[in-house]
Amino acid sequence: MRLTTGSRGGRYNSRIVRSSTQNIPPALEAKNVSRLYRTSGRGVSDVSISVAPGEIFGLLGPNGSGKSTLLGVLSTAIAPDSGTFRIGGADGLKEKRKVRASMGLMVDRPTHYNDLTGRANAYFFARAYGVEEAKAEDVLAELFDYFDLAEYAEDRVRTYSYGMGKKLALIEAMAHGPDVLLLDEPSLGLDYTSQLAYQSRVRGLAGEGVAVLIASNQVDEVEALCDRAAFLHRGRVVAEGTPEELISSVQGVRRIVATLRNPVEYGSVARVGGVQRVVPEGRDLIFHCEERPGMVADVVAALVRSGGDIVNLSVQRPNLEDVFVKLTGEALRDEA
Amino acid sequence: MRLDRPDAYWKKDVALFFSKRFALLIKMLYPVAIIVPVAASGMPAKYAAAVIGIVAIMAGTFGAGESLTIDLNDGILVRVALTPLSPYRIVFEVLAVNAVLDMVQLLPALLIVYLLHPVNMVWILAATLAVFATLVTANCIGIFIANFTSSPADVLLYATAVLFPLIYLSGFFRNQHPTGILQTLRGFVPFAYTDDALKAVFGLTTTTTPLEILIYPTIICAVLAGAVCLTAPGLLAQRP
Repeated sequence: MRLTTGSRGGRYNSRIVRSSTQNIPPALEAKNVSRLYRTSGRGVSDVSISVAPGEIFGLLGPNGSGKSTLLGVLSTAIAPDSGTFRIGGADGLKEKRKVRASMGLMVDRPTHYNDLTGRANAYFFARAYGVEEAKAEDVLAELFDYFDLAEYAEDRVRTYSYGMGKKLALIEAMAHGPDVLLLDEPSLGLDYTSQLAYQSRVRGLAGEGVAVLIASNQVDEVEALCDRAAFLHRGRVVAEGTPEELISSVQGVRRIVATLRNPVEYGSVARVGGVQRVVPEGRDLIFHCEERPGMVADVVAALVRSGGDIVNLSVQRPNLEDVFVKLTGEALRDEA
Repeated sequence: MRLDRPDAYWKKDVALFFSKRFALLIKMLYPVAIIVPVAASGMPAKYAAAVIGIVAIMAGTFGAGESLTIDLNDGILVRVALTPLSPYRIVFEVLAVNAVLDMVQLLPALLIVYLLHPVNMVWILAATLAVFATLVTANCIGIFIANFTSSPADVLLYATAVLFPLIYLSGFFRNQHPTGILQTLRGFVPFAYTDDALKAVFGLTTTTTPLEILIYPTIICAVLAGAVCLTAPGLLAQRP
């Protein structure tokens, strides 16, 4: 299944996305990229994607689906077995330094020089990307302030929490004003306020024409932020389109989200007719169900019989996770 | 230069070197603690020279090799390599800054040696440069080894395997009067010039002139540094 690409009306950067259809060369273009690890056989195979200037593109897939490998190739960290890619018009295989200069990168497990301060780390990277001394000071001051890290800027990174380290990595990725942003699991570990700040910043950058590629398995984030998304499954792109297009391909499915006061053994609920999958998420149990009369009542009754004390219940439309399940028969995130 | 705003790889390493005061104190004191008692004792000159040479070799090899492999394991070096900085420049800066910082650690001990064993200024210059050449060579070996392993423990193991024959050739303990092929090979090992220069400082006579000590190790180090910089793309690449 490969859905068509189209612009999304009413989005922050929809004007720029629409313009991408008007013969503007893509900011990032990968053609038939393959990279398989000999030891595990995992990686990516024959992947082609294209991201226009000002577009936010989401790469969705479970752990091991090849997202980080693809970002590794596109960031020039890993050489592909075959295929080509261009970033900002530069050949990713022959003009690596040019590609690196035009790119902002956040790897999935950001590391820093722990005995330097946060500001020293960010300053080092900004200067490595060629930002002038005075401009680096100004830009970093604004970014540290924006991401609420100004108070800790002169602390050693050793003292930072995981989320603070992620915010520092975002600052390092954005400080030099790249044309293309590659972000691997950017919101993982960020608190809610920081997630909103990061999403707002990414939208702002896209509005200024920056192409953004986000690898994530957070469906909410991709739905909220991305103009287009592609599903990676076992190293291959299995579907691509706008979140609405992808979701509209799923018919007759509903999600019932039950928040419980206490954990319960939900095996009997999973056997209720029409329940396709049950995924626990914190205090929530998420039921992927057929859309039929009496479905909600049957699930609630089964939960109550299992001893579940329901404190909240909602019935939701399908999301990108349901699309992935329908396409592959597998869960996007690890199920308990 | 502002240490809190490193804008180059070598400045970052200098900032890190000075960032931990207690560790800095230990780093500065341990060469003094080892070398000064040796220099002040009545130990035979050839062994006193050997001890100083070995300290320099070990400090250089393990310093660069270990710090490189630690940074490679952390992933930070790969991240730095994904900036537009030239990988060759990064490796050259790793080599240069580690050698200079190692020299900063050894210099107080060397100055005390020169005070305890006054000698002609030419020999002081030759010995100082020879020790620096030894540090550059040792750092080259450490960086070269980091191409094959990302484990600091393996660096120690491999370094030992590489250094033993070089130390033997240099004549620190055995092979002090080599002939034939051993003599020829000795001429290509910078450690040998350090040994000769330090022996001269401790009052022994040597057939090697100060000029030879100033020129030959410099040339050998330049070749070694160039060769080790050529390994940069592989060294800084993401490892499976």
